[in-house]
Amino acid sequence: MFQIYLPIAEMPVNIFLILGMGGVVGFLSGMFGVGGGFLMTPLLIFTGIPPAVAVATQANQTIASSISGVVAHWRRSAVDFKMGGVLMIGGVIGAVAGVYLFAYVRALGQVDLMISLSYVLFLGVIGSLMLNESVRALIAVRQGRSPASANRSHHSWIHGLPLKMRFRRSKLYISAIPPIAIGIFVGVLVAIMGVSGGFVMVPAMIYLLRMPTNVVIGTSLFQIIFVTALVTVLHAVENQAVDILLAFLLLLGGVVGAQFGARAGQKLAGEQLRALLGLIVLLVGLRLGFDLVVQPDELFSLTSAVTP
Amino acid sequence: MRLAAGILLLILAALTTRGALADQLVTDLSEHQISIRSNFTGTEILIFGAVEAEDPTNLSTERDIVVVVTGPEGPVTVRRKDRVAGIWINYDAVRFERVPSFYSVSSTRPLTRIVSMDTRTIEGLGLRHIGLGVATGLSPTGAETALQEDELKIFSQALLRNKQNQNLYRAEPSGVAFLGRSLFRATVDIPSNVPNGLYTAKVYLVSDGQISDAASAPLFVVKSGMERAIHAFAHEQPLLYGIFAVVFATFVGWAATLIFRD
Repeated sequence: MFQIYLPIAEMPVNIFLILGMGGVVGFLSGMFGVGGGFLMTPLLIFTGIPPAVAVATQANQTIASSISGVVAHWRRSAVDFKMGGVLMIGGVIGAVAGVYLFAYVRALGQVDLMISLSYVLFLGVIGSLMLNESVRALIAVRQGRSPASANRSHHSWIHGLPLKMRFRRSKLYISAIPPIAIGIFVGVLVAIMGVSGGFVMVPAMIYLLRMPTNVVIGTSLFQIIFVTALVTVLHAVENQAVDILLAFLLLLGGVVGAQFGARAGQKLAGEQLRALLGLIVLLVGLRLGFDLVVQPDELFSLTSAVTP
Repeated sequence: MRLAAGILLLILAALTTRGALADQLVTDLSEHQISIRSNFTGTEILIFGAVEAEDPTNLSTERDIVVVVTGPEGPVTVRRKDRVAGIWINYDAVRFERVPSFYSVSSTRPLTRIVSMDTRTIEGLGLRHIGLGVATGLSPTGAETALQEDELKIFSQALLRNKQNQNLYRAEPSGVAFLGRSLFRATVDIPSNVPNGLYTAKVYLVSDGQISDAASAPLFVVKSGMERAIHAFAHEQPLLYGIFAVVFATFVGWAATLIFRD
């Protein structure tokens, strides 16, 4: 009755399941202030959506959520457009390389494995780091000490690189090579994982480039709009894996969920929030890893060249 | 010599007359084109007909009807997972060149009780006798390898099993019903995941274990509806579709900022 047929994933799904998933991930992303793509793609895979479609569709959806996010930062002029442009050069290179790698691995029949492995790796590392850091902070608070501030060591080797540019909005005079390298790395992540890459981009901007924190989120969102747009077009051309109906349903749920999430987030303490998010990330990563290790019921799968 | 030729002619004439007088089929489909919405839950086609018996007074002949509906053929790769370094990954594969996308066989009785093994093999009757085309073994890197007989069997059985699980291959051993002595009807389920294209519905009349007549009819399957239009757009105009997806997402993102402006 409430089934809807996804045209690209080529499977019927319950419309409320997809809206609900969009809502829950939107709630979490509003509460924690994160993109949520790294949770949505595994959830879509768990529901049986082909991993390639989950990744490409997630990239498409990220355009919309990044646009609604960047507007608020733009009004506060918290976007470094020049830095965003340099990051974008790297992002374009990474996105093109990533999508072609994706298409190549897909032809070998290993794209599901590549997606799962990269998620297990990233969710495992990021979940552990977040959980570790927030639990330490919680213990520190309980013992009456103030949480230790992050150690901002100088990366002098970055200042020795050529191609120096002035970034007025970030009050920086640094080489263009590190931002381009970060851009390439994140571009590849967008292409093969469908995530916005904010969880890599934001720490890299703060600790590696030493950008002021108030422009970091806005600049990251600004450049990710263009990288995800490019990835969407490339995935549509190379893999025909972008499902706009699925993206639309996820957005519908996500927009509403994010509003409630943002309100709920204001009532919780920062450390508890991060510990909770770290735990969720770890569990999703473990589940994906579990599926790789356990012997599947059906060892054989069919790939048809005829498009239904 | 002349006499011999004359006798031969007589025998031939007798044979052909007998052929003309043998049991014959008259069949039709309920529709020759099924236009189905992509979100449909499946539909069914009705195949009906009548047997014109050679000798209506002879009631001892056992007659059976077999109805086979096949979909467009194409190459299919069957991949097998294996454990490598502790995780299950797609390992080796076999590519079959001409696999019917859909295959449904319905009959009045189980096929094994109607026709001989030889006939089933020749005519491709029954799930185990579907022609799959040339098979090529593929190594994990995609290189062509020699294919052992037992491996071929394992992979073709896996193909059948997967197709049956997707409801794309099916056997209905009592899917054809006789209404009286000469009229028969069969309903064939067409599931939601069938591809577009030209299908063939073939009806066999079996008299006392021998195929005495066969008739086939084309059947066009055309999907319609919004989902089908999106699918066609994505595959026929991938660049435009990608740009459309970006513009669409941009619009939704922008609309969201207007709605939740506070």
